[in-house]
Amino acid sequence: MNDPMQKSLDDLLADLPRDMPPPPYLWPGIARRLPRRRRRTNPVLLAAAAGLACACLASALTWAVLHGRPTVSATQPTLLATQPAAQPPATRAPTLDEPQNASYVAARDSLELNFRRQLALLDPATRAKIEANLAIIRQAHEDIRKALASDPASPVLEQLWQSTWHDEIDLYEHVVQATQPPMTRT
Amino acid sequence: MANTVGTVQMLQVADAVDPTDPAELIAAAADGDVSAFEHLYRQFSPRVFGLCLRMTGQREAAEDCTQESFMAAWRALASFEKRSRFSTWLHRIAVHTVLSRRRGLRVKYEVAEPASGLPEVADPGSDSPPLDIERAIAALPEGARHVLVLAGIYGFSHAEVGQALGIAEGTCKAQLHRARGLLAAALGVETS
Repeated sequence: MNDPMQKSLDDLLADLPRDMPPPPYLWPGIARRLPRRRRRTNPVLLAAAAGLACACLASALTWAVLHGRPTVSATQPTLLATQPAAQPPATRAPTLDEPQNASYVAARDSLELNFRRQLALLDPATRAKIEANLAIIRQAHEDIRKALASDPASPVLEQLWQSTWHDEIDLYEHVVQATQPPMTRT
Repeated sequence: MANTVGTVQMLQVADAVDPTDPAELIAAAADGDVSAFEHLYRQFSPRVFGLCLRMTGQREAAEDCTQESFMAAWRALASFEKRSRFSTWLHRIAVHTVLSRRRGLRVKYEVAEPASGLPEVADPGSDSPPLDIERAIAALPEGARHVLVLAGIYGFSHAEVGQALGIAEGTCKAQLHRARGLLAAALGVETS
């Protein structure tokens, strides 16, 4: 006969601890084997994407503004000569991650020089908008560069990074083209 | 346990995730945050490990199953539906992992020592239940042990156990009755 003081099976089962601490070496083993997932919400990436979106929108606006302005007259080249010299094109120091191809860099610098000259012809308000747009593009570029530093294998970031260069060149070209005297048929 | 809690509190979780809020941790972990997932591991692994250890009756197998369960959970976190509790979802994964592993290893380890991972000697001064019951559970036939552990200890319903084990609900109840009888006989106690 069972001891009346002895616990019943239900009591024994109820008293069993449900939790049993795993050995401490288990988590490091799991962490090592976890397949890495790309985080869906990268704040830097979002900021860069937002910057790019702003830049694209601003470029479009700039283009629209410049198309609406009076065309530069043929006499303006002479005026240009009397105006103060245009700002130097590249005051920022080149960074290591910029495209290093010599012909590309030369072409870009030439375009930027031309851009600066043409920019000086515009009214201050328009010029300020364009400068602001350029700053947005460069900020987006910098944000993406930082994100790339922590995730260099990301093809998305790489693509975004390259697209900021294209946006900058596009902006130069838009300004230069929009400020050229219109061609006249003879 | 106090050490575990301390460790949990000391862990750094990115982007201001509240480490005491499982919902935030789950969302962050689903987003790829390993630190958040570690918090979840610290919080839920004792229950998962206990479940695996009692189901397998072997410490090494339980460790493997716990690891596999959390890795499976990491992979499936994005599909976790917040309608069910995370613990319930995780325990289902653990049960599935144990059963899958058992099916895979059945041929190789049919005669494995069932209680090799359990402590050898009970602490007579302890208020905790005698370790004899752990040994007795580990020595139960596999089917009866699984049902007893899931339904009798961890509170799964017969329907859930039947679904997990691929047996009818009636079979589940019969297995539980059998397990309780065997256990009571082994321990020399009344069933109720």
